[in-house]
Amino acid sequence: MQTLEIISVNIWNMLISLCNLLLLFLILKKFLYKPINKVLSERRAAIDEQYTAAEEAERKALESKEKWDQKMLSADEEADSIMKNAVVSAQRRSDKIVEEAKEKADDMIRQAESEARLEMKKAQAGIKKEIVNVSAALTEKMLNREINGEDHRELIDSFINEIGEDDDADE
Amino acid sequence: MKKSNNKRFLAVDILLLILTVLPIVFAIVLKVLTEPPADGIQITGARIFFTVHMPVQDWYITEAQINSWLVIISVFFLCLYMTHGIKQKPNSKRQHIAEWAVEKTESLVKENMGEYFAGFAPFIAAVILLSAFSSLLSLCGLFPPTSDLNIVGGWAVLVFVLITYYTCKCGPLHYLKSFAEPVPLLAPLNIISEVATPLSMAFRHYGNILSGTVISVLVGAGLQGLSSLVLGWLPGVLGDIPFLRIGLPAVLSVYFDVFSGCLQAYIFAMLTMLYVSNGFPADDYEKRKLRKNTKHA
Repeated sequence: MQTLEIISVNIWNMLISLCNLLLLFLILKKFLYKPINKVLSERRAAIDEQYTAAEEAERKALESKEKWDQKMLSADEEADSIMKNAVVSAQRRSDKIVEEAKEKADDMIRQAESEARLEMKKAQAGIKKEIVNVSAALTEKMLNREINGEDHRELIDSFINEIGEDDDADE
Repeated sequence: MKKSNNKRFLAVDILLLILTVLPIVFAIVLKVLTEPPADGIQITGARIFFTVHMPVQDWYITEAQINSWLVIISVFFLCLYMTHGIKQKPNSKRQHIAEWAVEKTESLVKENMGEYFAGFAPFIAAVILLSAFSSLLSLCGLFPPTSDLNIVGGWAVLVFVLITYYTCKCGPLHYLKSFAEPVPLLAPLNIISEVATPLSMAFRHYGNILSGTVISVLVGAGLQGLSSLVLGWLPGVLGDIPFLRIGLPAVLSVYFDVFSGCLQAYIFAMLTMLYVSNGFPADDYEKRKLRKNTKHA
């Protein structure tokens, strides 16, 4: 079998070898780099997607948290105002009650006072009348009879009895 | 359903692996069938299987040519195997390896050549793979295509074409002007260095691999002679066995075939990247593009 010289130049062989290298380049490009790069870019896209989804979720969570915070704040405020209103109305009511009670008490005192005064006036009038009656009776008796001890005693006793009778009669 | 899918997947996997190995096996069988019995030291070029008559020069279909085709077929099926069943969520080791290789070559190309040449990654990978696999064929006792000047010369010519193409990106005038730098007096030297680039690349690669083969053959033959001289007195078959050939050739093979082969592949790829990106006048190209854009606008 023939062999080539150890150093030989053959343009056709060189051309074929050149084409071989180009062929392998195309093979690698199409069958190794293209699928691998496709998978890599797909993975990158998926990762990006996940990142954006995570960011979105975080943003939403923060938003809802803010909302809730605001709600909580307004609820607190509301509770505060309710409490304040309640306190104010209770105060007002208690004030009113106390005032009413005071008024009532004043009324009652005034009434009692006026009643007492009336009673006193009545009593005074009664006593006056009595005194007038008694003195009238006394003078009558004194004018009608001589005064002596025995008689006096009798007279006073009868007088007192009369008063009692009068009183009874008055009643 | 899933089980049958799994089975089919496995079957395709195995088929692809077999198809990856088959070309190498075919080359070995071809060599065993066609090689004439060796007598003594034989250092020759590639053996010629057919001769095709072509204009200018006959085209010889040689061992080197066939071996490099077989390497291409093997690499093709290896690619199919590596990318078979790749998913967005990787669960196989081979996908990790394939992704690592792709990203590694892409970052290497970007680092050495810049963003503009990002599409060069498959080409550089092709250079490394073809060169390394061709050199490693000698591990199987096959003729390494890289020790044929025509094979490596073809690659170097392609690199030369690429260098020239990218230097001409700014127009032929710019290309011609680049020879007159830094002074017009140096133009002949510039032309020589331009031509010397592919020549040096081809001869470096080819010479390294060929010298490895030659040294291996010489050492092997020398050890055989020494063995028959020293141990020839042993009776019967024992005397014919070259005991001294055990050991040292293996060490030499690790150096010349594995280390040197991979190193030369790497060097060839590195030089390709450097020459192509150095030849490309990036700044001038940017300016020219800008000028063109403003003219259009």
